Amino acid sequence: MSPYPHHEEPAKEAAISLIGIGNAGVNITDRLAMRAALPIRTIALNSDQQSLTASVASKKLVLGPMTTHGLGAGGDPERAIDAAKESLGELQEAVSGSDVVILCAGLGGGTGSAVTPLLAKMAKEKGALVVAVVTSPFQFEGRRRSQQAVESLAELQRHVDALIHFENDRMAELVEPRADVSETFAACDGLLFQAIGGIVRMLGNPGPLPIAVNDLLSVLRAGAGGCLFGCGESEGGNRAHESLEQALRSPLLDRGRLLQEAGKILVHLSGPASLTFAEVAAVMREISKNTSASAHLCLGVSSAGDDSAPLIVTIIGRTGVEERKSAPAPSVAMPSISTPPPAAPAPPVEDKMVADPEVASPTTKTQKVKQDFLPLEPIARGRFERSEPTIVEGEDLDVPTFLRLKIKK
Amino acid sequence: MAKEKIHVGLEIGTTKVCAVVAECGRDGEIRLLGVGESPSRGVRKGEMVDFQNASKCVHDALADAEERSDQEIKSVWLAITGSHLQSFNNRSSSSLAEESEITEKEIGDVEYKAKEISIPKENVILHSIIQRYYVDGQEGVIDPLGMLGTKLEADYHIIHGVMTRIQNTIRCVKEFDIDVDDVVVNSVASAQVVLSDSQKQAGAVVIDIGGGVTDYIVYHDGVVRHSGAIAIGGDHITNDLCIGLRIPITRAEKLKIEEGSAMVGGHPPGEKITLRNDTGFSGKEVDRELLNMIINARVNELFKILKKRIHEVVPEHLLGSGILLTGGCSMLRGVREVAEMIFDSPVTLVHAHSVSGPTSAFENPQLSTCIGLVKYAQAVNADMPEETIMSKFKKLLNFNLGL
Ligand SMILES: Nc1ncnc2c1ncn2[C@@H]1O[C@H](COP(=O)(O)OP(=O)(O)OP(=O)(O)O)[C@@H](O)[C@H]1O
Ligand SMILES: Nc1nc2c(ncn2[C@@H]2O[C@H](COP(=O)(O)OP(=O)(O)O)[C@@H](O)[C@H]2O)c(=O)[nH]1
Ligand SMILES: [Mg+2]
Ligand SMILES: [Mg+2]
Repeated sequence: MSPYPHHEEPAKEAAISLIGIGNAGVNITDRLAMRAALPIRTIALNSDQQSLTASVASKKLVLGPMTTHGLGAGGDPERAIDAAKESLGELQEAVSGSDVVILCAGLGGGTGSAVTPLLAKMAKEKGALVVAVVTSPFQFEGRRRSQQAVESLAELQRHVDALIHFENDRMAELVEPRADVSETFAACDGLLFQAIGGIVRMLGNPGPLPIAVNDLLSVLRAGAGGCLFGCGESEGGNRAHESLEQALRSPLLDRGRLLQEAGKILVHLSGPASLTFAEVAAVMREISKNTSASAHLCLGVSSAGDDSAPLIVTIIGRTGVEERKSAPAPSVAMPSISTPPPAAPAPPVEDKMVADPEVASPTTKTQKVKQDFLPLEPIARGRFERSEPTIVEGEDLDVPTFLRLKIKK
Repeated sequence: MAKEKIHVGLEIGTTKVCAVVAECGRDGEIRLLGVGESPSRGVRKGEMVDFQNASKCVHDALADAEERSDQEIKSVWLAITGSHLQSFNNRSSSSLAEESEITEKEIGDVEYKAKEISIPKENVILHSIIQRYYVDGQEGVIDPLGMLGTKLEADYHIIHGVMTRIQNTIRCVKEFDIDVDDVVVNSVASAQVVLSDSQKQAGAVVIDIGGGVTDYIVYHDGVVRHSGAIAIGGDHITNDLCIGLRIPITRAEKLKIEEGSAMVGGHPPGEKITLRNDTGFSGKEVDRELLNMIINARVNELFKILKKRIHEVVPEHLLGSGILLTGGCSMLRGVREVAEMIFDSPVTLVHAHSVSGPTSAFENPQLSTCIGLVKYAQAVNADMPEETIMSKFKKLLNFNLGL
């Protein structure tokens, strides 16, 4: 079979921001910032200074330093609101300049519960497409937390274009009954990580077969029913089969069984240019075996880049969705958003650092001066040839002291 | 749960990556459970230059520490150093509404104001260390909590550094799904275990000479007065020998440790050291005087720079307890004597004390920073006994799952 035709007109690149709010949100944002080579801006927003210190997000904003003294909101949304009021400028800054804003938080605490809806509203006002990915607390965290989460969720629904809501209880139940605490957390975080990665890929889908933003939103639109989600990744000869297997094994699909209950399902395949029609067809055939006959399947395919890119299958659906006819289209103009192909991800920050260890080197001038009277210059820095020179009062101290003394005499 | 808390200190040093696992009691006692080490690769002058290699060494050191201590490492206190670190002292003041009692809030406000000072855009503040408070101009207030006044002032020692460089180090740890409890500047950590309270009071300088960086910190009146890092260390000596004696770098390192001294003289003139041949090296006779002269030039210069930097901020007569040297390079012969001549004050070689465990193995100046980290962690925890939300929450979870 022939491969999919590729789009010709170059699409405008959409700027996507991921904002992690509160401890849980910052945690998950960190994971994405570190692991997923996604072309997104990451922002960590918290009233807890310690969580920010240790974050690797590209931008960190502390909320209400005068209100909370960097100690967090203590699980109290009122306090978090006060902190937010103090830092309205920072919040505006966080939601500005993006076509898509993805908000991520664990609801039930102070900061995440209070600030996420606020940010959603602000981002909406700036004309961005707003997606929220949130969790609700474990039941045993107590009524107060559940209540806070419920209120926050209701408020959030009024402002977002799409909402993905996972229940911690359910995720934990589904992970591994015997997993220990940190494994459970890690597993929950892992699912959220995959979900956000999947959404970014769908939104930034460069084709050849993009998922319509409206389709994505109608599945994700806030409403009743649980969120279904699965994601798998594989390379090599049997990649189509393997990645689908993995996606179906996701706990949030209950080994694929839950797909039967879904009214509308999005399937997205992202892979190298060598992705064939036969592979796409095989995946879709397999998925339709797991869904009800009346289910509406939406397919998106993006293939680009070199053959080393893995095939990633993402499945998103919602149970108990009664198709709300033509949910209002997002007010933003999003004709076709596109991101660089997955095979050519933005280089991780550390590479940049390594490649350019002399960024802050103030030395070009001094080195020249030195060269004038130091004949041994080419070998004299030895082991430090590639590191940032140690300059004190204009002298390059990587050059052996005894040599410099000899020259001076 | 027991009162003991496990803390892990991690230093990604120029020479070695080192992780210390310790059990900290509420009474201040620290029991070392194990130390994991791995020789460093990809680290120069205290900072990562090759992420892949450094990351592998971090992994090895952590795995080693887990095995030796029989503890699973979930989070670490991380040491930070490098030439990008900068510090200054800053006074801030805040007026109280009317004559009212000073609460945590006012103290928090005055600290926040001290940090409002402008630092370069790409920098972040790593520490703001309280030096002293003034209430209505009155000096010598140690704890203003509960005092009455109209004006609260405070002096802080602020340490800041370049954010991306610090993040680089953090990233290297987080790669392995290990949390960073907090980042601590090397000199601040080292001082925790080599200085006694009375030395801090009388005034003292701690100088940690490592492989790529020399970290220093100055105490007086019990508080930090000055701190800094300069990217010169044992590597420089080794490199000088490699260039000056024309021998391979590994031989230079060995020669430095086995034969080298920072003091010249004290041996018969013309004395030679024979380096035996080795693969790729045909052997050589080295003049002992030349060897020591090269080392002396470097060490001399280092202490002169340090002296100048320290005395710019803290006058000499305030350093009653003198100079304390630690870090691997403090083991170099003659270093103490050279320091004594330059500073013209008493100089002592020190390593971590007041810890228990299979101690003798830990009485090593190379471990000062790392052991200092756990002491620092313990001090922070003792200051803030209330549990964080997360820890409370995790405990709850523990309880409910019956784990
Ligand atoms: N017995 C010894 N005599 C002389 N020098 C020594 C001795 N033992 C270790 N060193 C030197 O000490 C240095 C390593 O010290 P240390 O382990 O404190 O450094 P590090 O913490 O890895 O580096 P840094 O803190 O600078 O990043 C090396 O340069 C090594 O040559
Ligand atoms: N999956 C996951 N959930 C978390 C994590 N930390 C906290 N939560 C959940 O998020 C809720 C809010 O906690 P937190 O983010 O600490 O509060 P905030 O910082 O005040 O917003 C908690 O009630 C937990 O249910 C985490 O690391 N992973
Ligand atoms: Mg060190
Ligand atoms: Mg050092």
